[in-house]
Amino acid sequence: MKALMSVGALMGAIGILLLAGMILDIVPSNTVRLVEGYMPMQVLFELTLFVAGFTGLSYMLGTMGMALPRFWQGIAFWCFILLYLKFRVYPPIPFSVRAMYGTVSLIAVFMWVSANEEDWSKFKQPIMNVLDAQSGANKLLRYAYLVLLPILIGGFSYNAMVPKSEEPIELRTVHPAPPASTKVHGKTYTLQTSQNPYRVNLEGKFDQEYSNANIVEQGMGRLMKPNANPWDKDAQGYLKYVREGGEIFFQNCHFCHGDNLNGRGLHAFAFNPIPANFTDPGTIAQLQETFIFWRVAKGGIGLPNEGFPWASVMPPWEQHLTVDEIWKVILFEYWHTGYYPRTWD
Amino acid sequence: MKNSFNLKAGMLLTAAFGVILVAGSAGSLAFADEALPEGFKKGELAPEPAADMIEAGKRVYFTKCVWCHGVDGAGDGPGADRLWPRPRNFNQGTFKIRRTASGELPLFDAKKPIPGQNDLFETVTHGLPGSAMPSWEGILTEEQRLQVLSFVTTQLVKDRKFTDKQSEAQTVLQLDDLKPVPATEESVKKGAELVKEKKCVECHGTEGRGDGNAFNLKDDWGFSIQPADWHKCWNFRGSRQDPYNVKNIFRTFSTGINGTPMPSFADNSTVEERWHIANFVNSLCEREADGTPLAIDPLADKPKINFVVSSGVVEGEIPADPEHELWKNRARRYVAMGGQITHKPRNFVNRIDDIWVKSLYNDKHVVFMFQWDDRTKSVATEKLPWAPTEVNIDVKEQDPKTGEEGSIAAHQNNYTVYNDAIAMETAVKWKELPAPIKPRYLFGSNEQYPVDIVKWEADGSLRAFEGTGWDKDFAERDTYEENIKILHSEWKDGRWTVIIQRPLGNKKDQDYDEDTFFEMGQYIPTVFFAWDGHNGDAGRKMAVSAFYYTFLEPPTPREAYIYPVVIAFGVVLLEGWVLTRRSNKRKGKTL
Repeated sequence: MKALMSVGALMGAIGILLLAGMILDIVPSNTVRLVEGYMPMQVLFELTLFVAGFTGLSYMLGTMGMALPRFWQGIAFWCFILLYLKFRVYPPIPFSVRAMYGTVSLIAVFMWVSANEEDWSKFKQPIMNVLDAQSGANKLLRYAYLVLLPILIGGFSYNAMVPKSEEPIELRTVHPAPPASTKVHGKTYTLQTSQNPYRVNLEGKFDQEYSNANIVEQGMGRLMKPNANPWDKDAQGYLKYVREGGEIFFQNCHFCHGDNLNGRGLHAFAFNPIPANFTDPGTIAQLQETFIFWRVAKGGIGLPNEGFPWASVMPPWEQHLTVDEIWKVILFEYWHTGYYPRTWD
Repeated sequence: MKNSFNLKAGMLLTAAFGVILVAGSAGSLAFADEALPEGFKKGELAPEPAADMIEAGKRVYFTKCVWCHGVDGAGDGPGADRLWPRPRNFNQGTFKIRRTASGELPLFDAKKPIPGQNDLFETVTHGLPGSAMPSWEGILTEEQRLQVLSFVTTQLVKDRKFTDKQSEAQTVLQLDDLKPVPATEESVKKGAELVKEKKCVECHGTEGRGDGNAFNLKDDWGFSIQPADWHKCWNFRGSRQDPYNVKNIFRTFSTGINGTPMPSFADNSTVEERWHIANFVNSLCEREADGTPLAIDPLADKPKINFVVSSGVVEGEIPADPEHELWKNRARRYVAMGGQITHKPRNFVNRIDDIWVKSLYNDKHVVFMFQWDDRTKSVATEKLPWAPTEVNIDVKEQDPKTGEEGSIAAHQNNYTVYNDAIAMETAVKWKELPAPIKPRYLFGSNEQYPVDIVKWEADGSLRAFEGTGWDKDFAERDTYEENIKILHSEWKDGRWTVIIQRPLGNKKDQDYDEDTFFEMGQYIPTVFFAWDGHNGDAGRKMAVSAFYYTFLEPPTPREAYIYPVVIAFGVVLLEGWVLTRRSNKRKGKTL
């Protein structure tokens, strides 16, 4: 038990040191990278580690006779969460969202300290002590509160009332429901039944198994399979079309969606919302190929009403590309990210 | 005692004589050492990378790099023709960012991914900011980056060999051992004189905005290339994602940029002089009003963006002079610009990548000051190929193949010159837009929710248009043009400053259905457009920003001073109540 707890304590101490380093800008917040796409899981995992670490830490402090009162534990943990959200997570989370998380974790902390009558009275004991002001220090503290609280609250309310300019927040549906069919270059495509005509095996037959076996490998770098080089002179079928799709991608799409399909292209910094990150499992990985076809062909302006605001710069690519080119680009995007398109069933 | 002293002296003398003799015989060697430019030392060529590294690197190359750098590494991949600067042609072994002397191969050792000892590794790790080469850190592992470089340096560099002791040498800038001269006022001043003396300003311009007489410079392959704009250090290719670090400037100045007209100044300047120049160049980079560096977004390697352009209130007349105190004290906003690559004719190589906006307003007008760097002042020499109001959707785009007539590479610096221009687009009925709706970003969404576009051009015109959709011609708005005014427009040393005044709008004099009303304290969706006439920018070939918000700062209301005091007093009362209650409770009394 003790060994386990000391491991926990070590973990907690290291965690606190790391976070302190990040706050003071000694340790860059990307030391341990948040891997694109796995960020929420990673954050949850890290927080779980921290909770385990803190449990160990408080146990160790207890056995050493330096137990931290429940009151301070609660406050410290809450502050920790706030600091973690502000300094650890990059790209930064907007304040309003952090405020929401902060409120939720405050409630959680309250539930924790008031789990039973005994804990609750332990928790509020320090507050009562200050109110009663039996000792000199507490008396001093009480006067300090008496003066500081009104000043602070007055200051906050002044701050809230002074006109300020913060960018209004706009929420948008990222993947609105697609229509049943879409008309591109004069031909109607039913989304449920259409197939990518280039997802074919060496015999030229539609073959998702075959193409899935030739996409790049998941894992760091997402490299192609050793024997599936689309630039091979003899590449046929699926791989040949992947190369053709890649050529179109690097003439039209990479400016925004990036050389690595992660939404960080040459012009991406200028746009808001930022271009879609295809390596994120929340984008093309959870969509059907025909959905992408519809989005590419119709662009930001073709979004249905729930897809507002139309701030997207994504053009209707049917203006620039033929149907074949659109299918090939889609083929390339799945190849390069190593994702399988979702099927309708 | 004396004897032994004499003996010692004699031995010393002999020793000294010996040293001179030896030095004499090794004279040629010593001479070669002396010929090294100051701050450089001889280095060793790195060993050839292992065969398995090269083989593994091929896999990385054909997944990630081939798309721009091409199958043979000739910088002619499918993406190359629409990029400027173009992707590197590896074949000649010409690499830009190095710690080695001018003309030499860069440092690369497949076994040593150590910052400062491995130029190519650092280039792949940090990318080349300001170009399409991204930072591969976090995408490729360190191992993968070394592998791909092993492949490139052995298989794709064809004219030279990294391990050939006969033809290659390494003279390495000892950047880590040289102590920077502190960037004092004096050092910066010396640097300012030195850039004139060393003729840096001939290419980089008197203010360092890259606007010298170097417009038609070409690189080794005949492609257009332009001198760096010292005011945008985040675009320095060699900035290693650390743009305000003076060492990077010192390095580039010391080693030059191979393959470009930028020479090495190692031979004709001392290390100290080079630090002064680096300090001066660094001091020009854009900073906050208090002199601190701009916050750089590590994901984009560009300054961080705030999408609110706030306008300050002015009593009385708004000054037309950009040097006026009111303008000088006004906070400016960085507006990022990307190429308009969504509607034909597309602008893949926009030369304006940011503008700075300031705004002031009074009871009648709102005034915008735009400042942006443009290496050339362009005033149209010929008529536009299409009317500025026209949707040029059928325009034939440049054929992307380099070498053929009409390619971007052939066109570069060779376009018909049109007007430099700047425009702002605002949503007309922004107040009525149902909650989540904005007019479509470019050119408005429909007849019901149009946008209003005010455009200034370098020929001195200021015009107003109405946009009702990307596929509709603009409507000219002559009635509104009477109400808008150019207060100032000037191109000086590579920078445009344009001040435009427009009415705030009110129900009495203007038509709400056609004019944008600028209302205090509201967020008014605004988009900015910019054109560089020497880049062939005209019509919809332009640079665009995202949606920003114009925000007229309301004056602090009187309530902001009264309520907080009332609230604070309330808190005091509350505290008294809590304390009395507690003490009564403890005394067992009930109130």
